[in-house]
Amino acid sequence: MICPFCSLLCDAEDLRTISCDRRTDSLAKVASLRREPSREAEAEVGLSEAKRALQRAKRVLVTGRIASVETARAAIAFAIQYNATIDCAEAGHVFKNVLALQRSGMHSVSIAEARDHSDLFIIVGDDRMLHSVPRMPAAFANYSPISRTVLLLGEFGPDSIRKWKGAGFDTWAVHCDLKNVPMALSQWARWSDRVSQDQAKSKEEAERSHASGLLDRMARSAYTTVLWCAEHLTMEHADLWVERMFQWVATRNEKSRCAALPWTSTDGTFQQVCTWQTGFPGRVAFRDGVPEYDPLQNAYEQWLERASRIAATESVVVLIDETASATTFLQPQTIPQLKNSAVIELTGTSEWFPTAIAGIETGAGLFRADQTLLANVLPTIEPPVDCKPATFWLEGLSR
Amino acid sequence: MITRLSGAMCIDGVGASQVRDLVMDGETLCSESPSGQRWDAEYDLPNHIVVAGGIDLHTHIGGGKVNIARLLLPEFVQRERTPLLESDRFITPLSSPVPGTIETGRRYLEMGYTACFEPAVLPANARHAHAEMADTPWLDTGGYLLLGNERLLLEWIREGVSQRQINDYVAWMVQAHQCCAVKVVNAGGIDAFKFNQRHMVVDDKHVHFGITPRQILKALSIAVESLGFAHPLHVHCSNLGMAGNIASTLSTIDAVEGRRLHLTHAQYHCYGIDGPHGYSSAAERLADRVNANPNLTIDVGQLQFGQTVTLSGDTMHQFANRALARPRKAIFQDLECQAGCGVLPFRYRQDQYVHGLLWTIGIELFLRVNDPLRIFLTTDHPNGAPFTSYPHLIRLLMDYDFRMSVFSRLHPDVQKSSPLPSLVREYSLEEIIKMTRLGPARALGLANRGSLQQGCIADVVVYERSSNPEEMFSKPRMVFRRGKLVYRDGVLLGDADKATIVAKFETDSQMDTLLKSLWRNRYGYSTELITVRADELVSSKRSIEWTVFKRAAGSFLP
Repeated sequence: MICPFCSLLCDAEDLRTISCDRRTDSLAKVASLRREPSREAEAEVGLSEAKRALQRAKRVLVTGRIASVETARAAIAFAIQYNATIDCAEAGHVFKNVLALQRSGMHSVSIAEARDHSDLFIIVGDDRMLHSVPRMPAAFANYSPISRTVLLLGEFGPDSIRKWKGAGFDTWAVHCDLKNVPMALSQWARWSDRVSQDQAKSKEEAERSHASGLLDRMARSAYTTVLWCAEHLTMEHADLWVERMFQWVATRNEKSRCAALPWTSTDGTFQQVCTWQTGFPGRVAFRDGVPEYDPLQNAYEQWLERASRIAATESVVVLIDETASATTFLQPQTIPQLKNSAVIELTGTSEWFPTAIAGIETGAGLFRADQTLLANVLPTIEPPVDCKPATFWLEGLSR
Repeated sequence: MITRLSGAMCIDGVGASQVRDLVMDGETLCSESPSGQRWDAEYDLPNHIVVAGGIDLHTHIGGGKVNIARLLLPEFVQRERTPLLESDRFITPLSSPVPGTIETGRRYLEMGYTACFEPAVLPANARHAHAEMADTPWLDTGGYLLLGNERLLLEWIREGVSQRQINDYVAWMVQAHQCCAVKVVNAGGIDAFKFNQRHMVVDDKHVHFGITPRQILKALSIAVESLGFAHPLHVHCSNLGMAGNIASTLSTIDAVEGRRLHLTHAQYHCYGIDGPHGYSSAAERLADRVNANPNLTIDVGQLQFGQTVTLSGDTMHQFANRALARPRKAIFQDLECQAGCGVLPFRYRQDQYVHGLLWTIGIELFLRVNDPLRIFLTTDHPNGAPFTSYPHLIRLLMDYDFRMSVFSRLHPDVQKSSPLPSLVREYSLEEIIKMTRLGPARALGLANRGSLQQGCIADVVVYERSSNPEEMFSKPRMVFRRGKLVYRDGVLLGDADKATIVAKFETDSQMDTLLKSLWRNRYGYSTELITVRADELVSSKRSIEWTVFKRAAGSFLP
């Protein structure tokens, strides 16, 4: 059994040994999800009505939280058929990393590699990281007797520090503004090079100072892993921040080894499938079957903004949400433009089609957070009666 | 459905080429209509040749590094609008050195290829690779499992575990990841790079484990032979692309002590240090070795001029080449204590000395290796060039004058130093067919493919004869997949059932238990997370084709 609630994909043994608040909360949330359609309609009637809306529409957007390989495939096939634009709810976060690597490339590392081999982890972010992925420290803790250091950079509180220490890491925390981290790391790298050069004569002195001790760790690190979660990068032009981080990592590899681990959530699965099928990681508009990639204009926010200026019946949004977090995405209060569009919702809190959630009520292929490992996840709980996977509805609408 | 093709020259390299009828009964080829039944379809094809579907035994079409290359290079995608398939469903959108799965399947079919093999399936990436190949329409597919850099195996070799244990490990890994062969890339070198070692040849020690590539190659070649794989150990040698690397390539051949061996993208591994720029051809030395050693096969990995992207598990050498990336960006990954990857866009220029030299070296290899059943036509797609350049490459091999016309545009120092003008061999049509069909089928142990013999799968391609082989091999008149006409005169007529070719072993339950525990320690998760079940590869349009190998009985444990 593999837990689908975050993108770490813990297995049964992990879950037996360490409790996870996120899993507990998510299970409770799933159990309480409202599953009845708010409009009474038989599936066939609903599908027919939806198809009519789609056929009338001049513009179609497919969006939402697409978590599994199977649904990504069905959503892309659907988008091709209806000349739709497709963009995921989390693309805004995903593309912070994507745009940066498309400009300048990256050095990256997978979770097990970092776990086995890295002697210094630089974790950039804040306490939300462990709220999203409570088992992250445990995932990086290994059996190795070598001393392993965690440097928490950003706004981490005592709870995060305690959890990393509890997992056996020599934990250091430096409170700083996230947006300044790339510059700070560059400066530290220069300082740590100096420490390294002066090590023989000044080691004793260096260890007296907290900062010097940290610099010494950095200088001595044979393999440094730098981890951040794009979702928590709220500064303006975060892709430029990521690009500078990639550049810092690249520079460090000229002398020693260093790699980034840009953490993604389950939406990374859609990005992978879309890339292998269309050549692009999302934000694609299909025109006569040809995918057109535009990371700015094809963002769902832009699409909705344009849709708000035309007649409501000309635009249709197909909303897919196959995650357990199905609560607030694209609610009218957050996306007011939606009121001008017809909405076919394929969500857990659906108005029309109550769907089962990938990996929770149906089997699913999900990529792990480092995008290396694709797991075949079996259902965690029995699906409610009449819940069908998103693929069922998408294929029904495509026929 | 019974289909007869008549009046065409049937060429398969098994017997003499001859004009004869070819009958497809359902999914297989038969000698004549069963029990005197009439044909459901008949095609009279004078002035045509009929051959088996092409088989590409080394093409990067699935898995993490391929998708990373796509992700890195959206600007390479050209927008073309050729009408395509299944009217309302599919698309023909892209033209890129590393196209998406749908275009990959379509383009291969349009050249007359029907089976392709991804040669570097990283264990942790196996399910991903299979998922991509499942989305590659029209082609049967298979994968070679990438071994030889897993920290677990390196530890075992350091500890001197029994060869039996290594054999069982290889069997378990291949079975668990549903692959059909074993590949090693820069044995031990990918892992050494993670320990900041920047150079490693066959007898250099891994800076951490203290073992050499020679030990790894020997252990894996014994395992592959003991387990009875049809395909020999598929080796990407140490020292990729470096001047003088012929020495490490020949040492690699020696390391397996006479066992069967396949050297992949050999063009990148036969360079000397002579000539005006300290970079020269050693193709003759390698070809001589191949000609003299019946246990040795190679694929060439020919490069063509133009923009492409190189992607390889060999992080060490990809990193070394980072300054050569065009455009200037690259991705490097260290992955799961198993391997890595490096992705660099690359532009080969015919007026650049080294690029021109590499082009001549690949052609030299083709012309110097005598037996077309032991040398295979590849570009190591997309590393040397996209696979769509195969028809052009075929013309280079079949037409001396055309070859020389390209040669005459190369850097003057290449023209002065290369022996290519003296190599006047021109490949015959039969030799091309052997090199692209029968040879790869035999090299992979696929007895039911690669020829037009009775009982073979009815993957059949019809080309109209032409004096220009590039034109001919670019546009088949017809392609049949399993007896069904799926392509005719530039139009795709329908989908085709697909198969995944997988080696079948009985694995050792004690190995299973051992790996479960070691895997958790090493990787932090259960083997169940990554084991690909056979039923995952099966759907209404997709089946498994088992390749069963012999295997010694018993367990590695006393």
